[in-house]
Amino acid sequence: MLLGPALALSAILFSIGVAGVLLRRNAIVLFMCIELMLNAVNLSFVALAQVHGLGGQIMVFFVMTVAAAEAAVGLAIILAIFRHTQSVDLQNINVLQG
Amino acid sequence: MQTIDLATAGGATLALLPEVVLTGAALVVLLVLSWRHTTAEDSRLAGYLSLGGVGLSAVALAYLWTADLQPLGLAHMIAVDTFRYAAVAIILIATAATILLSLQYVERERLLAPEYYCLILLAATGMMYLAGATDLIVSFLGLEVMSVAVYVLVGFNRGSVFSAEAALKYFLIGAFASAFLLYGIALIYGATGTTNIMEIGARLGQGNIPVLGALGLGLLLIGFGFKVAAVPFHMWAPDVYDGAPTPITGFMATGVKAAGVIALTRILFDGFSHSIDLWQPVVAALAIASMVLGNLVALSQRSLKRMLAYSSIAHAGYLLTAIWTGSSLGAGATLLYILAYVLTTLATFGILAALGRGGERDVTLDTIAGLGARRPWLAFALSACMLSLLGFPGTLGFIGKWTILMAIVNQAHAALGIILVLTSLVSAGYYLPVIMSMYMKPASATSPEGKMSGAGIAVIVVTVGLLLVFGFWPGPVLGIATNSARVLSGAVPSVNALVR
Repeated sequence: MLLGPALALSAILFSIGVAGVLLRRNAIVLFMCIELMLNAVNLSFVALAQVHGLGGQIMVFFVMTVAAAEAAVGLAIILAIFRHTQSVDLQNINVLQG
Repeated sequence: MQTIDLATAGGATLALLPEVVLTGAALVVLLVLSWRHTTAEDSRLAGYLSLGGVGLSAVALAYLWTADLQPLGLAHMIAVDTFRYAAVAIILIATAATILLSLQYVERERLLAPEYYCLILLAATGMMYLAGATDLIVSFLGLEVMSVAVYVLVGFNRGSVFSAEAALKYFLIGAFASAFLLYGIALIYGATGTTNIMEIGARLGQGNIPVLGALGLGLLLIGFGFKVAAVPFHMWAPDVYDGAPTPITGFMATGVKAAGVIALTRILFDGFSHSIDLWQPVVAALAIASMVLGNLVALSQRSLKRMLAYSSIAHAGYLLTAIWTGSSLGAGATLLYILAYVLTTLATFGILAALGRGGERDVTLDTIAGLGARRPWLAFALSACMLSLLGFPGTLGFIGKWTILMAIVNQAHAALGIILVLTSLVSAGYYLPVIMSMYMKPASATSPEGKMSGAGIAVIVVTVGLLLVFGFWPGPVLGIATNSARVLSGAVPSVNALVR
């Protein structure tokens, strides 16, 4: 059911996520956009699982676990950089250049 | 020869023995350091325990390799073949060397949280799963286990803003790349109805590749391009390599890159051998861009750490040329080149860690001036590494480049080979000044002492020794690499053979 629209919606959400990562400059917003990309892929998996069987749905659980692990580490890293620069704006985070 | 049934718990544990042992070791380290995590001695204890875990894992690997196991039917999740064993061996070498080089480094830089070693072991486990996966789900999980651990390791020096910035950049780019990879997996699953690499190969072999599958393959290549730092997905590498603690930079340049390249080789050779016309131009473009840009930009670098980062981009290009061939000869060349690159890079970063302070960001060509007179052996080792990275005859780096060239020539396609040779010549422009600076310039007052611990010296003696020994006498490693890669013939079994 609704395979085509679900895949299209997933592609649109993924593109919004990519655009957000490329255009926004705030580390937390960037991270939210990456989460949006991951969840767009989850939608694809669930939609495709109707055609191809359970494998796709199981994959979604793995992706959710991985996203949670990434969130834990990612927010900790953002916190660590905030302690140094008092900012999470990527424009202010540029000591590494050369 | 013995067959094992991967569907049973016993069979799967046996097939995964090196990974299981290493995970167990990581958990033991975590348990021990939960009440011993304050002093330098505790940190050292964690290091020794981790080394023991790597040793046990190596024993398990040796058992698997000699037992000559065969999976019953299709290997659904993890490969049981020599290509995986060779990859795991390379990853274990990189892990052991990283731990040995870290023993002194973490005390000197006051990174006295023993979780460091636990994270190295977990990252190595992820690399092993990634390199051995025969299912895209396992590839993805291995990649993430590796990446999440390495994100933390890059930012491990909490007092350094450089380390924190490197971790943030690596995390954002790495997660971005993972999402691309995952979308690629989803589309390939949509096109073929399976995530098993061999089955993908069999189903795509029946006709033209569907649009969805081609798109998925493209996204997969983007994801791996980021992970192995191939141009144009390389922009994170110099900053991250620069800011990370030096042994971790070495670990990233060797382990992460090796696992990524090996996984890519297996996916392209087994899963997409029928679509070779589709991916060959893309891989060739990535390879040429990486070789040209990596080598040219490295010329303008003063800091050794950044110079090595650009050189690692160039080396990703050389490895991609070997994958481009799509032949088992190319897969063997990939393995051999990775071994040469891993040994050389580990030794180089080990020496670099001894030459500087506070992240080694300030070690430049001027810093090492006159090293040849004060520390002749250290200078000799660094010279050997530079020559091996350059591909100078008499070192393993030369044998690696030579086998890649042979694989390319075998495809009757000279253009890529010519670019490889020309860009290697360009790379002499930044490798040789290092040697010249050590031997031909006078030392300044601020020159580093270059003190090394016994463990560090052992790593450098062994790696540089192997580079030179195998450089003059390449027979054994050449044989192992070619034989190990033979399982990736690119020939896909028919669908009937897969459906039991």
